[in-house]
Amino acid sequence: MPRVNEKVSYWMLVLPALSIMVCFYILPVLGIWEIAFTEPKAGVGNFVKMAGSNAVRTSFVITFRVAAITTVGCLILGYIVAYAISNFASRLTPLMVALVILPFWVSVLIRSFSWIVLLGRSGLVNDALMHAELIERPLRLMHNELGVLIAMIHVMLPFAVLPMLTNMRGISGIYVQAARSLGASEWTSFRQVYFPQTLPGVLSGALLVFVLSLGFFVTPALLGGGRVLMISEYITYQIQEFLNWGLGSALSVALLVATALVLLISARFVNLRATLLERK
Amino acid sequence: MTDTTDFEAKRDIADIAVERYKQGRLTRRGFISAMGALGVLPVLGGRALAQTKEIIVVNWGGTAKDVLQEVLCDTYTAETGIKVTVDGSGPSAGKIRAMVESGAVVWDLCDSGAGSAIILEQQGMTEAIDYSIVDKSKVLEGTAYNNGVGNYVYSYVLATNPKLLGGNIPQTWEDVWNVKDFPGMRTFRKSVRGQLESATQARGVPLAEIYDALSTEDGIKASIAKFRELRENIIVWGSGSDSQNLFLQEEVAIGNIWSTRAHLLKDQMEDGAFNVSFNGGVIAPGIWVVPKGNPAGKDEVMKFIAHGQKPELQVQWLEKIGSGPINPAAAELVPAELAAFNPSSPENLATQILYKDEWYAKNQVSAEEMYVDALIN
Repeated sequence: MPRVNEKVSYWMLVLPALSIMVCFYILPVLGIWEIAFTEPKAGVGNFVKMAGSNAVRTSFVITFRVAAITTVGCLILGYIVAYAISNFASRLTPLMVALVILPFWVSVLIRSFSWIVLLGRSGLVNDALMHAELIERPLRLMHNELGVLIAMIHVMLPFAVLPMLTNMRGISGIYVQAARSLGASEWTSFRQVYFPQTLPGVLSGALLVFVLSLGFFVTPALLGGGRVLMISEYITYQIQEFLNWGLGSALSVALLVATALVLLISARFVNLRATLLERK
Repeated sequence: MTDTTDFEAKRDIADIAVERYKQGRLTRRGFISAMGALGVLPVLGGRALAQTKEIIVVNWGGTAKDVLQEVLCDTYTAETGIKVTVDGSGPSAGKIRAMVESGAVVWDLCDSGAGSAIILEQQGMTEAIDYSIVDKSKVLEGTAYNNGVGNYVYSYVLATNPKLLGGNIPQTWEDVWNVKDFPGMRTFRKSVRGQLESATQARGVPLAEIYDALSTEDGIKASIAKFRELRENIIVWGSGSDSQNLFLQEEVAIGNIWSTRAHLLKDQMEDGAFNVSFNGGVIAPGIWVVPKGNPAGKDEVMKFIAHGQKPELQVQWLEKIGSGPINPAAAELVPAELAAFNPSSPENLATQILYKDEWYAKNQVSAEEMYVDALIN
């Protein structure tokens, strides 16, 4: 058999995926960039308009704030779940992992609608609290940022749990045992020995949740009541309501650039290569 | 001028039709075929040539298609022997223009809006309405254009849930802005259409002067500022069904919603939990337009439009689907229990204003921007 040059075989393996990326992702994205700079007039008019708009600025602030709080919430809850699964649930592990993955099979739309049923004015949560006579009038749990955050943390949680779980399962218990035998308390050995080893998992979970949250649409649109306007919903506003394709495209370019900036900045503090690619 | 026709409102009437069908209030006949036809352009040319004595009426599908067929078309066929078929594929101005420009017109009559009708007329895409056949006095004042004439109306109305408000019902839009005496959440549309008029009245502007007050940028800003004042109490609705859900789930106590949805809600809410006031409402008409060079000929279509002006037929529209008669004379025939929900009854007409498309064509886009800003900033 003739030996195929190693380089050639490498490219033959990569090419199909690469060409699909170019055709269905890179080229359309370039098309969006083009619209941003050409409609309705050639130039940077759309970006000037965007920079001058209070609504756009607020929408960006809301987007980043919601994404950041969602990330923190997911990390705290996700860390506890991942820690419990990898350290305490040896026999139950498969079941626990399945429970984490299960929500992936249910569409985001359904999960968001379910939260409407739960959080509504006459929803299950409010009804239960009223019957228990803990509250006198229904709490406002949705149609505001609180509702959006509750639902988004729920939707995003698996994205935080899974990387942390993978990371934790690669950590040998020997180090903690060593620390304990040298007289460290449980808390100290966790804080000084175990926790630092989980940081790569925490960081990749954080990045994953944060970047995905930036582009969220369904959940804020359903649970925000119109007041929690995230950039992706603002883009649909521009395109569907105002037929303003130029500004809509400019906004999506801005979101893409902002997301790239977040990655770049985090790369200054974190070794992205190590956290995302060379995870054990 | 931008096209301001409210396609969402039209689609919503189609949605209502679906709901009615599910409730068993509409016959199955034609419903399924309407669904199939939805969004599909008819095959160009052939059909029109095959049968010249057929009139093709196009609307927005769903139950509205079914009702149109049953109420206007079948009765016309029974009277004249001329076949009339409803196509529910949605006659957007763009489609009409494409058809006329390509010289392959298959539609005879289209359910459009005032904005589209004006643009299509300017572009020379539509036939003039022959007012010697169509009776101008049988449509609401302000809905008879050169190349378009009103066919039904719906309104933006003040809907309330007295139960949530402890029986204290706001009567005017000024009341709606009074959070102290009328606590609770309000719902407004995710667009300024039919909403700015409410805010303008809340500023104390009389009904007749609303669009004058909105004619300057300061005027628009002042009305938008009213929304900013109220925003802690606002949940927006995106689609007609959204607005219905917000009332059904008791999320809101007060809202500015379509009268067609109010018509559904009155049956779904328990007694004493739903009230509608047309006081300070905004009437929006649907407009018939005839594409230039329509296959059935202009006169045939005019006769059909005239047929549709009969009050007794228009009342059936209201009963079946909640869209009100455009012919003021129909009001007398409306059953007493429906009169309160008829957007065009004399009592309700007296307290409403007609939607001004010209204003929206000029100001809608900038007003929408300000509206979004007021709600989130």
